[in-house]
Amino acid sequence: MAKERPVVAPDGVVVGGGLSKKEIRKIHERNMNQEEIAYLRRKEAIEKVWPIARFFILFGLCFIILYPLIYMVSCAFRAQDDMNDPTVMWIPRHFTLKILKQTMDAMDFWPTFGNTLLLNIGCSLVQVVTCAITGYGFARFRFKGKNLLFALVLMQILVPSQIIAIPQYMEFRYCLGLQPLIEKLDPALGAKFNLIDSPLTMYLPALMANGIRAGLMIFIFRQFFRGLPKELEDAAYLDGCGPFRTFVQVMVPNASSSFLTVFLFSVVWYWNDFYVSSTFFTQNKTMALMLKNLNTRLSLVLFNSATVEISPREQILWMEAGCLLAVLPLLIMYIFLQKYFTEGIERSGLVG
Amino acid sequence: MLKMPYEKRKGLYGYGFIALWLVGTIIWFLYPLLESLRYSFMEVRPEKGGMQGSWIGLDNYIYVFTADQNYSKYLVSVLIETAWKTPLILIFSLFIAVILNQKFKGRTFARAVFFLPVIIATGPVYSIINGDISKSGAASAGQFSTMFSTDLMGELFQFIGIYGLSDKMQTIVETVSNNIFGIVWSAGIQILIFLAALQNIPVSAKEAAQMEGATAWEYFWKITLPYVSPMILACLIFTVIDSFTAPDNLVMGRVLDMQSDWQYGHAAAMAWIYFAIVLAAVGIITAILNMFIYYEVE
Repeated sequence: MAKERPVVAPDGVVVGGGLSKKEIRKIHERNMNQEEIAYLRRKEAIEKVWPIARFFILFGLCFIILYPLIYMVSCAFRAQDDMNDPTVMWIPRHFTLKILKQTMDAMDFWPTFGNTLLLNIGCSLVQVVTCAITGYGFARFRFKGKNLLFALVLMQILVPSQIIAIPQYMEFRYCLGLQPLIEKLDPALGAKFNLIDSPLTMYLPALMANGIRAGLMIFIFRQFFRGLPKELEDAAYLDGCGPFRTFVQVMVPNASSSFLTVFLFSVVWYWNDFYVSSTFFTQNKTMALMLKNLNTRLSLVLFNSATVEISPREQILWMEAGCLLAVLPLLIMYIFLQKYFTEGIERSGLVG
Repeated sequence: MLKMPYEKRKGLYGYGFIALWLVGTIIWFLYPLLESLRYSFMEVRPEKGGMQGSWIGLDNYIYVFTADQNYSKYLVSVLIETAWKTPLILIFSLFIAVILNQKFKGRTFARAVFFLPVIIATGPVYSIINGDISKSGAASAGQFSTMFSTDLMGELFQFIGIYGLSDKMQTIVETVSNNIFGIVWSAGIQILIFLAALQNIPVSAKEAAQMEGATAWEYFWKITLPYVSPMILACLIFTVIDSFTAPDNLVMGRVLDMQSDWQYGHAAAMAWIYFAIVLAAVGIITAILNMFIYYEVE
């Protein structure tokens, strides 16, 4: 302020342009009491020290977060000898792609990757659409038993999947109890009625808004749709839209960023899911399963026998390379779409 | 159809919108949930066409507490860990959110890094980098954790030069530092939720505080905390739910062991006890917190 126009000090002297900042401040301080000066000084000191402290705190914590990733990269390009060389901490002495290639073989990387990607994107797309429809139903309509049903959604968020996994397994194994009936009529056909190992174990729940963490998605969509103005809806109704057309043509375009966020999270959750896929898949290849079984698969690929034990210290190399391979697609996605991950939550109306 | 009052007709459409979910929930959630509750009171064995079994009342629950050597031990240790880790995670994430809400160079980068664990921590990768691969039978679990955090802290100490200053201090610092990995890695979503809440603090409140000469400390307690308090509850619940699925959760690990051992009755009883205790705890905490939470608009 002092720079732009002359400041009139109380004793009538006009100060301004010619004076340095320090002198202006002195004149300002002349009019303050002791307490105000102390407050300002303290504030100034904090303003100088805090950025440095903040830098160290953030730098340290960022390092903790990034450490495993850095270590993965460092390990993935090492030769085996480097693991037994105490002078190698971060930078490998012998750069090699051998470990990475072997790990890719053991994980059957490209087919696994394709399979996982297809399953993830398929399930996520289906689930986002069904969850949005459900969320909209909870947000914009009044009907009997709504609160009770919404409590059910909250239950879905809270109940750990371990509790319901075994009964679900039975449902898939015997096709909701249909299998024994069909087997009685035709044993050959009955034997085919087994959903275990079929991607349908993922698709069916997703199709009915009951996939991985569907409760949370319904909740997010409900919060979002509740925040949209009511006039939007009324205008559409007046123009003769039915509720479903209103949803598709008026509400959905407004929710595009919300859709993208939920979709991205869904992809991440499906990608990382190990529990559900390991319960329902025995043969199907997903990235998380491959990584979990990397140990045995490695011995098979490297030594043609599942029982050979690789030295634990050297095994780290393959495990870390496997981690890197499993995380890399997510990381790339995150780097390009980071904005939608972080801003999405803020905008989705989960808060406020 | 047309004779119906408008509101009622609209309500019917509401049922239409949630119908798909409702059917799915009955098939994939409600039925399995009740079924698993039923298992916990039964001696079950898998047979062709489904689970067969006989009703044995509370025997499974009694067995779990009296005959199973590990369960009560695991349950207590997991509950204690959740009890001290959850508040620590909340405090930490609020602290980080306040810092990340300030303006400085590299803020976007820092935010991206702090949120990074969210996309990794739910997967098996986390259990590997966290040094827990015992499930797959690898002998190298210890190797990982020594490689990972303990050693690193020791080296840092050596570098700073206070290594060996006092053994006690070192153990305290080391336990905290070993856990800080877990805390930082499970705070991503919470940081984000708090950050969003912080950005919702009205500018007028900030200005008023400045006019009155509030220090940063006072500002935090009188302005920041009341405004983010509704989100504390959300973060608390989120943290607790996340701890269910944490790969190093001993109770859930035990449940899985029992399941792969075909002891579904015992597994169901274990899972239900754990779930009931946590649900009750969350309920009580919610009730207590609700007395202190400040809602701007009632």
